[in-house]
Amino acid sequence: MLKYVIKRIVLALITAFIILSITFILVKSLGIADTTFGAKENVKHAFYLKQLNLGYVVVFDHEVDGYGKLLAQFHIEGVDEYFYARPILEQYFAWLKNIFTAWDWGESTSIELRSQATDIIASRLPTSMYINIVSVVVSVPLGIGLGILAGLKKNTWIDHLISTLVMIFISIPSFVVISFLMYFLCYKNQLLPSMWPNPSDTTANKILAYFIPVMSLSFGSICGYTRFVRAELCEVMSSEYLLLARTKGLTKNQAITRHALKNAFVPILPSILAEFIGIFGGSMILEKLYGIPGIGDLYIRSINEKDYNVLMVDMAIFTTVGLLAGIVLDLSYGFIDPRIRMGEKK
Amino acid sequence: MKKKNADFELIDTPNEVVTSDVSDADFVLQQADDSIHEQKFQTKPTTFLKDSLKRFRKNKSSVVAAFILGILILLAIFVPIFNTNDVSNAANSALKNLEPKLFNGGGFWDGTVTVRHKEVDYETGYPDPTLYYKSGIRNLVREGEHFTNVPNAFGKGGYIQTGFYGGYGIDQSYLYSTNPMDNSAANKFVLDLEQSHLTLTNFVAMDEDMLKEDLGKDGDIPENFKLGLTGLQFVYYYDEEEKAIDLVEPSLTHTIGIDGGESTIELNDLILANEDHLTSFESFYFRFVTSKDADITASDHVCSLIKSMVITTDSDDDKEQIYFSTKADKETGIEGISFTDAMKMSVRSFEVGSGSKQRRNCGYWNIESSTKNFKNIYLAKAVYASFTYDSYSATLGERENVPVSSYDVENYKRKGWVDYTIDIIYDGSTPIIDPDTFEFVILNEAKCPFIRAPEYEDVKDVFVTESGREGFTIYGDVMYYKYLGYETMPKFLFGTDKSGRDMFKYVFEGLRNSLLLGVLTFVVCFIIGLIWGAISGYFGGAVDLIMERVTDILSGVPWIVLMTIIILKAGSSFGTFALALCLTGWIGTASTTRTQFYRFRGREYVLASRTLGASDARLIAKHILPNAMGTIITGAVLMIPSVIFSEATISYLGLGFKNLSSLGVILSNNQSELTNHPYQLIFPSVVIALVMISFNLFGNGLRDAINPSLKGEGE
Repeated sequence: MLKYVIKRIVLALITAFIILSITFILVKSLGIADTTFGAKENVKHAFYLKQLNLGYVVVFDHEVDGYGKLLAQFHIEGVDEYFYARPILEQYFAWLKNIFTAWDWGESTSIELRSQATDIIASRLPTSMYINIVSVVVSVPLGIGLGILAGLKKNTWIDHLISTLVMIFISIPSFVVISFLMYFLCYKNQLLPSMWPNPSDTTANKILAYFIPVMSLSFGSICGYTRFVRAELCEVMSSEYLLLARTKGLTKNQAITRHALKNAFVPILPSILAEFIGIFGGSMILEKLYGIPGIGDLYIRSINEKDYNVLMVDMAIFTTVGLLAGIVLDLSYGFIDPRIRMGEKK
Repeated sequence: MKKKNADFELIDTPNEVVTSDVSDADFVLQQADDSIHEQKFQTKPTTFLKDSLKRFRKNKSSVVAAFILGILILLAIFVPIFNTNDVSNAANSALKNLEPKLFNGGGFWDGTVTVRHKEVDYETGYPDPTLYYKSGIRNLVREGEHFTNVPNAFGKGGYIQTGFYGGYGIDQSYLYSTNPMDNSAANKFVLDLEQSHLTLTNFVAMDEDMLKEDLGKDGDIPENFKLGLTGLQFVYYYDEEEKAIDLVEPSLTHTIGIDGGESTIELNDLILANEDHLTSFESFYFRFVTSKDADITASDHVCSLIKSMVITTDSDDDKEQIYFSTKADKETGIEGISFTDAMKMSVRSFEVGSGSKQRRNCGYWNIESSTKNFKNIYLAKAVYASFTYDSYSATLGERENVPVSSYDVENYKRKGWVDYTIDIIYDGSTPIIDPDTFEFVILNEAKCPFIRAPEYEDVKDVFVTESGREGFTIYGDVMYYKYLGYETMPKFLFGTDKSGRDMFKYVFEGLRNSLLLGVLTFVVCFIIGLIWGAISGYFGGAVDLIMERVTDILSGVPWIVLMTIIILKAGSSFGTFALALCLTGWIGTASTTRTQFYRFRGREYVLASRTLGASDARLIAKHILPNAMGTIITGAVLMIPSVIFSEATISYLGLGFKNLSSLGVILSNNQSELTNHPYQLIFPSVVIALVMISFNLFGNGLRDAINPSLKGEGE
């Protein structure tokens, strides 16, 4: 078991490493983005010196051929400096060296100038996490409850109503839902703040501001859980062992709580655990639309502003979270249901 | 069981003997001479497809979904062909923001919109004329005066509020003349002290008594609201060094208001007193200091409220008082920093300060980057009103002073709508219209755009080109839709967007592009996925292991990054977009195919065929694939809506098509109109939701029909 867990984690790390490497090379193939346009000469110089330290550029005291386009040139205190981009693979190894030797993921080049990319992520991660935690806390019980209700009342109007609503909400893109939530609750009736409040806002506003993000995040997962639970429960309800339980004399409620639910939850619980891992992520569209300073919004901004160092850290988080959730999902099957053996050869 | 027992009740007495009167002759052989065959089925044979269709038809919701989908696809094909309105990027801006209109009147879907609680101009009582033309406003009801803390162009008065939150720290809020961080020469100016006099007058910072007096009985000062001790510093740059002079000591209390312009501070004298030999200095700013008081608790808002502040540059000898090092925008530096109306000031800085690059050359507020500080407009007055707005009669109805070129007027004459005599004569060297021969009559009132015949005074801009072409412009009162060339008032079912595009055509053109993209991507991904999955699943072992790792990694690379990189490298056309979607889109089909092949490759019929010498290719194509096809294809059909979804999402994030419409692009473009023109989002949203719902229902129905054993899964 332990061997299997370690094997899975190592495999996930290797996958994450390969993914990040590919992305780094792809991103770097877009070229170094000089974001100091219009700034003072010394700021510009500092930017390139930092790039030099990070190993992304190379400097000469004269113009050279073979390094592509000249990125910048300075004439400071009588010394000529010509900066060229290093070959991408050299940049890649420099990047790896910085991470593995000094845990230095580089500095932000435009979002928050000159601060460490990891610090920016650290300052934004909590916001995304709070919203995700609240939405998980809201959506898991609601989704499971509705799913059980629909599953038990199969083929009644309650089931039809719930299934129809689930179908509708699962089909509508989240940005449409968010737009209209914002329109009706923020603009038309002005019940909620129309934007994520800044830290100086009142506590009441800060609490109210959670409504729209939580609603828009939970609609999707409530629907997902309802559908999942209903399908599992329906399958279990028609199984023979439940009939046996009833034949032995258990009441319907006893049979459901002791036999049906327990078995129906075998595939559901792992996905709930995986969802808890997912709280480290951030929703890009929601954060962009509602102006939430989280890591999803950061992702879009770092792509648009070509802040590659921040992008790479952000992506590292998203990738790790995704892979970790997969591992937890797989492993927890084994913990929850002893019949399932992990890592067994086929 | 009980009943059976009852059957065995003794009804006859045991003594009675029953005799049978059946003889052998009673038995006759029925089919003694017939030869017996199997009988043919009375029912007609059915194919798998027919059977599936029958099952599909039983599923009512899927049939409805298929029907809706059909209608949408037909609309997507035919609307862009038959609707001739222009929906290119440079559509007719004269038609912008028309509300959707289906009925003529009635209040619903009739081109009118009810606007409630809208800020209106303090004096005229009408809302923003750039948003709402006067001629379209009906039933204007003015509501009372309210306090507002939101900067808007129509409010008045109020205070600039600057301070900090949470009872500690020193607030440093700046009022810049120009941006000191911006070092470009155009924004730098040098003040020549010998020739200019900077004078500060009218600086009024509020204390609680003044605030109470100003607000009257309407306004309440919130309980945790503390007016802080205000200091004011004048900060200027000299030799790249920052120098500050305290104009108002923080240790003085907030009753330092330099009231009513009576007292003034001569800034020059202060600077000269501070620095010997100083003749000029570079850009300057004012700094408001709100500092801590001993009895302030953490929940208090500590702030200064500044009502007005005027910086003048009076000097006796010269009109041009301030000497800048460059000529660029010399006035705005001072104008931007002065204010007597805080609302106007805040809107001004609001407007210029929206993007970092637009901040140049103007006074603007800045606040030291800290989570504890805030600045705002506070308790400004605004008037609100409610009204019904008819966008059609406003933008396309009667309009005054519309310039009509002589080219258009000649056209009207040719069509017989008007008749006129306009002769161009020379008054000296300038061409004018001959007043004696001027004549203008309308012949066809129903068709002519002019509501009344233009007078002599309405004809302006007379010109004669070197080549001898003559021309003029008539500024007349016209019926605007006729002027634009419409015979009757046009009707837009879905309204128009901010560029004047007909939303009806735009939405369905977008849908057509989205569907095309979906189907194209589906076909490509399906083929790739099928081949990949078949090889991986059929051969298994090392081949499978390697191929699985490749898909693992490929699906792990964030698609948004792949997409961005391809789009940035190859441009955002339909082809590159489809390519980017195809890069990872096939993985789903590949994994379904792989599973199916795993399932069937060990079956007896495959083994039998192999023993008879069938090749791998034949086994894959002729034996396994037909069996697996049903599951694979139903799984893959749902790829179309998911592609549409991905495209909409990525376009919505601003990374999508540039010159092509799609539902995501439309929604993304119209997002900014959510508050004022929600219909521009409602129609595309409804269409995309309908497409997604019906595709999903249709897909599920199809799956249930083709694979009855999977019924109910994933519902």
